[in-house]
Amino acid sequence: MTTIKFTVNGQAQSLDIDPTTPLLWTLRDHLQMTGTKFGCGIGMCGACTVHLNGNATRSCLIPVQAVDGADIATIEGLSESGDHILQRLWVELNVPQCGYCQSGVLMAAADLLKRIPNPSDEEIDANISNICRCGTYPRIREGIRRAAQEMGA
Amino acid sequence: MSQMKMSRRKFLITSATVAGGLSLQLVPIDSMAASESGKASGKSGSELSPWLTIHADDTVIVTVPTPEIGNGASTQQAMNIAEELECDWQYVKVEFASFSREYKQPGSYAVGLQPFFGGHSTDHDRMPYTMQLGASARERLKLAAAKRWDVPIAEIEARNSVLTHLPSGRKLRFGEVAAEAGSVELEAEPSLKPQSEWRLLGKTKPHKVQLPKVVNGSAEYGVDVTRPGMVYAALRQSPVHGGLLKSHDPEAVLSMPGVRAVVVIDPSATPGSPVDASPTFGFEGSECRSGVAVIADHYWQAKKALDALPMEWDDGLGAFWSSDEKIHERQDRVLERWAGVPLTKSGNVDAVKTAKTVEATYRTPFCEHATMEPLNGTALYTKDSLELWHSTQDMQQAFWVAVDESGIHPDHVTIHQTLVGGGFGRRVIGDDVRAVVAVARQYPDVPVKVMWSREETTQQGAYRTQLAARFRAGLNEQGMPESLEGETCFSGMALNLGFTDMAYAFSGAIPNVRLAASNLPMHIATGAYRAPCYNAHAFTVETFIDECAVAGGIDPLEYRLKLLADWDPAWSHCLKLAAERAGWGKPLPKGQGRGIAISNWPHSGEKQAGATVCAVAHVEVSQEGKLTVHSIDFTFDCGRTVNLDAVLAQLEGGIIFGLNMSLNEGLTIVDGAVVESNFDRYPMLKMADIPEINIHLEALSGHDRFAIIGEAPVGPIGPAIGNAIYQAIGKRVRSTPFRKQDLSWS
Repeated sequence: MTTIKFTVNGQAQSLDIDPTTPLLWTLRDHLQMTGTKFGCGIGMCGACTVHLNGNATRSCLIPVQAVDGADIATIEGLSESGDHILQRLWVELNVPQCGYCQSGVLMAAADLLKRIPNPSDEEIDANISNICRCGTYPRIREGIRRAAQEMGA
Repeated sequence: MSQMKMSRRKFLITSATVAGGLSLQLVPIDSMAASESGKASGKSGSELSPWLTIHADDTVIVTVPTPEIGNGASTQQAMNIAEELECDWQYVKVEFASFSREYKQPGSYAVGLQPFFGGHSTDHDRMPYTMQLGASARERLKLAAAKRWDVPIAEIEARNSVLTHLPSGRKLRFGEVAAEAGSVELEAEPSLKPQSEWRLLGKTKPHKVQLPKVVNGSAEYGVDVTRPGMVYAALRQSPVHGGLLKSHDPEAVLSMPGVRAVVVIDPSATPGSPVDASPTFGFEGSECRSGVAVIADHYWQAKKALDALPMEWDDGLGAFWSSDEKIHERQDRVLERWAGVPLTKSGNVDAVKTAKTVEATYRTPFCEHATMEPLNGTALYTKDSLELWHSTQDMQQAFWVAVDESGIHPDHVTIHQTLVGGGFGRRVIGDDVRAVVAVARQYPDVPVKVMWSREETTQQGAYRTQLAARFRAGLNEQGMPESLEGETCFSGMALNLGFTDMAYAFSGAIPNVRLAASNLPMHIATGAYRAPCYNAHAFTVETFIDECAVAGGIDPLEYRLKLLADWDPAWSHCLKLAAERAGWGKPLPKGQGRGIAISNWPHSGEKQAGATVCAVAHVEVSQEGKLTVHSIDFTFDCGRTVNLDAVLAQLEGGIIFGLNMSLNEGLTIVDGAVVESNFDRYPMLKMADIPEINIHLEALSGHDRFAIIGEAPVGPIGPAIGNAIYQAIGKRVRSTPFRKQDLSWS
C-alpha cells in the first residue's frame, strides 16, 4: 500500500492503495465514481476516458501511482449541472443508445473541442477512437459539429 | 380503491390515493379473483408498486416492466401512457418494475406487459394496456375536477397536465385533483382516442428519458451497482465450453492483499427451484459453466489473484473441434448429402429439367455480442433470501434462474433491474445471472459483485449461431428460377428465420421449392444475437439470388423485382427507391461497384408484416484487396412509426452493427476454445470507418402496423456489400467476415 494524492474534479483525494491499481478501478471502486466505465482493460475502447492534467487519457492503463499529484477530471465533473454544451446536445440529438460508452466519448469530444474548436471530419475521425457497439457514430459526429458551430457563433 | 374491468383484456384497473396523489394498478382478473377468495398465493395489489402514479406536484411516474437496453423501449411505454393521459411530457419519469410482481400477482406480465426485451416484445402488444392506463387516469382526473366544480364531466378538457372547464375557463393542475381522483368511481373505462387525434405518438420525437443521467455519469448500469460492504469477485470458466475445472490451488493466492476467498463454480451443485419455475425461455443454456472465482475487497485485487491462481482444465469432448477447417469440413459433409429435414416445400424440385443450374455454399461464423458493458452482476445471498442487482434483458428469465441457482423460495427473491450497457440478445438466457448467484451463495451475508473481464466476456459468450447454407437453382431459358433447393446446416439455435421463410419461396415466382435444415451439434454456447439466424441468412439468400441474376444475365435489381412482382408491393418500392437514390446503373470506374439486397424481420414469408429493409452499397476495392465502403443507401417499410427519431436511431445502429458483423466479426475455434479475447483481435468499427449512410423514408407504406425495427437493418448490409464487391472486381464472396477474404485483383 502506498499513499497517493491527486485531485478529482477539483476535490483533493488521498488514498492508501496498491500503487499498481489502474486509475479506472481507483475511481470506480475506491472513490465510488462509477461514471467512468470499464470496457476492455487494454486501452482500446475508450469507455474509461478521463482528463489527466487536461488531456483525454484512457484510465484503464494508467496505474494510480502515475497520477500522484495530478489533476483528474471525470464525466461527473465535465460540468456543474450536466449542461456542458456536449451534454446538452447529446440529449437533444438523442445521441446515446445504451449509453454505456458515452461518458468516455463525451470526455474525448470535450478534449477535442478544447484543442480544435472547429474540427474537420478527418480531425474528428482521428481524435474520437472510442468504440460504440450500438453504432451511434453518425450522431456523435453531428453532436461535435453542432457544438463547434454553436461555440463559434 | 375503485376498480374497473377492462373489456377483452382480462385485466382490472384499480385506483387508490397514495401520498397525496393518484395511483393506478393493472391487476390480472385471475389474480384478483383468487386473491379475494383468499385461496391463492397471489398477494393483494396494494402491496405492489403502482404502474402509474400522479403526484401533487404533477410528476407522473410510469413503472415499466421493460429493461432499457438502448432502444428506448421504456420511453415508448411512457409515451403511450402520456398520449392518453394528456399530461405534459416533461413531467414524466420512468421507473423499472420489479419482477417479483409476477410471482406475487401471477399473470401481471402474461399478456402484453412482457418483462423482457427480446423476442418480438417491443411495443405492439403493450400499446393497448399502457394507453388504457393513461386514459383511465385522465378520466378519473376529469371526474374529480367535475365533482369539485360541480359541472358535467363532458365540459372538462384535459391537456398538458391541466384540466380546463371549457364554459368558464376555470383551470386545475392534474396534481391539484390527483388525490381526489384516487377515490372516484368511473362508470365505464374510457375508449381510446382514434389515432387521428394522437398528439405525441407519430407526431413528436422525444429523446430517451434516461439520457440526462447518461450524459452526466450518474446512470446506473449493472456494473455500477455499489452496496455497503460489497466485495468483488473475478471469474474464470472453462476455456472450452463444457469442460471442467480439474485442479486449482487456492493456497497460492489466499494470502495476496485483499483476497477473501476462492470459490468453485460447480454445474452439478445447482440447488434447483423449490417451486415450479416459469423462466421465459426455459433453463437450457443458462447452466453454470465450470469455473473458479476469487473474492477480494476490490476488483483489481481479485483480478490479480485470479491471474496468479494455478488452475488446470479438463477440456472434455469439445476439444475434438481442433480448427475452423474441421468444423467446415464436417458441415460440408452433411450438406453434400442433401438429406436435411424439409421445412418449406412447394411443387417438386426433382421433376424440374432446366437449362442451367446455379449452385453455391455460403458460410457465416460464430460471433460475439461484445456488449460494451462486460457481463457482471451483484447479489446478496443469506440462508433465506436473495437480492440481485442486474443488467438483464429479461427480468422473468433472470428471476427464475436466480431462484433455481439459489434454491431460495421466490417469495424471498428480489431483483433490481438496472440500465443495460448493450444487450443484442446476450443478456437474455441468464447464464450470467446463474454464475453470479453461484458465486454469491458461497460467500453469504455480504453483497458480492461478480465481474467478467472483457476477455472472459468474449470467451464465455452465447454466440451467434455458426452456419452454412447450400443452394441449388434451376434456371429456365429466360434466366429465371424454375426450382430452388436449399439446406442450412447450423451449430446452435435452430431458428432458421430468414431461410425457411424467405420471401422468394412464398412470392409465387418459383414454382418448385425445397428448403431443409440439418444440425451439426457442437459444444459451443450459442444464443440470440441481434436477429438470430436471419442475420446470417439475409447474407446466404441474398448472395445466392445475386448469383442467379448474374447466371441468368439479368440485372440484380431487375431480377429481384421480377421475383417479387406479385408480392407485398412495399418490397418493390424499397428496392426501387434505394436503387434510384444510390444511382443504380450509373457507370463506375473499375474497382468500384454497387450491390443490392433486401430482407425482412421477422416475417419474411408474409405480406405486410414485420420490417422490410433494403440496402444498396457502393464499394471500392483496391488492387491489393483493400475494401472501402463508400455509402449505404437504405430504405425500409415497418408500416408506420410512433417515434421516427427512435426508429432512425435503431436503423443507424443496426446498419453499423450489420457492417461490423459482415466486415469484421468471426470467432476462431482452436482445440475447442475461442481464440479471440479482446478488441485487439475482435475488431470493432470506429468513427473513421463509417461510410456515408443515407436512410430514405419514402418507402414507408403507412400500413396499419408498427413493426419492430431494431433487428431488421442488420440483415441486408453484408450481402449488399458482397454483391457490390462482385460488381467491382468479379470476385464472389461466399463467407464472412470480408476482412478475412482475399479481395486482390489485377
